[in-house]
Amino acid sequence: MNSNYELPLEDAGYSFGFLDEYAKKEVRRCILKAIAIPGYQTPYASREMPMGRGFGTGGLQITLSLIGVQDTLKVIDQGSDDSVNAVNLRQFVQLTCPGVDVTEKTEEASLLQSRHRIPEKPLTEAQILILQVPYPDALVVVEASEARRKIMHAEADYSRLLVKLYEDIVHFDEITISHRYPTRINGHYVIDPSPIPRWDVPKLHQSKALVLLGAGREKKIYAVPPYTLAEPLVFDDIAFRVEDFRDATGVRHACRCCGSTVSFLDEFSNDQGMVAYQCSDSAYCEEQQQTGSAA
Amino acid sequence: MLNETINCSPDIWQPMRQQQVFRGLLDSFSYPGRITPCADHETSACLSILIALVDGETTLADPQQLLSSALWARLETHPCVSEKAAFILLDGASEPDFDPCIGTLDAPETGATILLRVAALHHDLTGNFSLHLSGPGIESTTSISVDGLHPAWIAARQEWVSAFPLGVDFVLCDEHNFVAMPRTTQITMGDAA
Repeated sequence: MNSNYELPLEDAGYSFGFLDEYAKKEVRRCILKAIAIPGYQTPYASREMPMGRGFGTGGLQITLSLIGVQDTLKVIDQGSDDSVNAVNLRQFVQLTCPGVDVTEKTEEASLLQSRHRIPEKPLTEAQILILQVPYPDALVVVEASEARRKIMHAEADYSRLLVKLYEDIVHFDEITISHRYPTRINGHYVIDPSPIPRWDVPKLHQSKALVLLGAGREKKIYAVPPYTLAEPLVFDDIAFRVEDFRDATGVRHACRCCGSTVSFLDEFSNDQGMVAYQCSDSAYCEEQQQTGSAA
Repeated sequence: MLNETINCSPDIWQPMRQQQVFRGLLDSFSYPGRITPCADHETSACLSILIALVDGETTLADPQQLLSSALWARLETHPCVSEKAAFILLDGASEPDFDPCIGTLDAPETGATILLRVAALHHDLTGNFSLHLSGPGIESTTSISVDGLHPAWIAARQEWVSAFPLGVDFVLCDEHNFVAMPRTTQITMGDAA
């Protein structure tokens, strides 16, 4: 590397939000169409970002197209504000969007960008949740051709996906999808709701907050509008169920930090090889510890 | 025809102001039937929306010539006939006399966005034409009323959005506010209060 090279001193070398205004306009148009056609994967020209595709560039491009100085942003990675992906994306937004506040408290945020979790605390109409999506198409497991998948989506033909779920029941007596559970939006399109656990799927249903999903590598944006049907694909006689965190005796595990028995838990092995459980949502866990009101 | 009634302040060309207009628009698409104030009070709401959304990648139809040529130059967008345009700007008082693009089954997002200028939007039923709305983004039902909208628009829209996912998305704008009615919104017309 040239030893005389100097980084540009002006951080104003980038426009607010890193993306140029034409890129933002395209993402914005795309988001409006995504809301108008709930669950439809709207194609857009995903821009190169200064981080690898697969690191949340889809969610980030949505966030940067929405954000303004009046916003407060929370970034979550697997429920935590402090893991690598969340810290890096938050720093990037702080660097490129001067004047934007960041927070770790769910209730303070106006925009929440999240990887693979929806916060435990219910969202409000004043908030927008942006999910980073690695694989946007729920049909990809049964049909390799995107052209054919588009036709299947348009005709709301999900019979092959239902066969896949049925095969699971035949083989294992239950549907074995733990995350990315196919969910039907407004009675038509089935989406891949990003790798959120089953626990979070019911939160999409009649949500008060707008949910936007961005897949940077696959160049798709889709949306679950507020107050919209979001039904996990199931059969009449096999109900959808979420993780229950019970041990062999039927007692529900509690978080080792805050003692909550009503949150989504991560499983850890400690040094002694013992299994321990802890809230996945770090902001929720901290609040429970502070108030001491864990249920 | 109505050139002089479309107002434009220099502020609206600032990216930050466009971002605020867009956030209002995002709210109005998320919650159809909510009358949202436009973030720029000195620019007509319909023009603010166009400035926030269109560029050289899009097409715009302005069959009634509501926009001046100076505005066309700054919008950087391509003029187009109403039947093919991505965005259509019209005065809602006159009847629809065309069929817009409603998209295709594998690309329903190419259905047009229609901006209708109306005289006034009302949160209550005091206007001369009431609309009762339901669908995604509306908790149960909501009602608004409008002055200066030809009822034929609602009937024509019914036809255009009858085969979901195909359809068009409406935004009604008075001078300072707008309300969105995406293709999923079900509209029934009511009597004037």
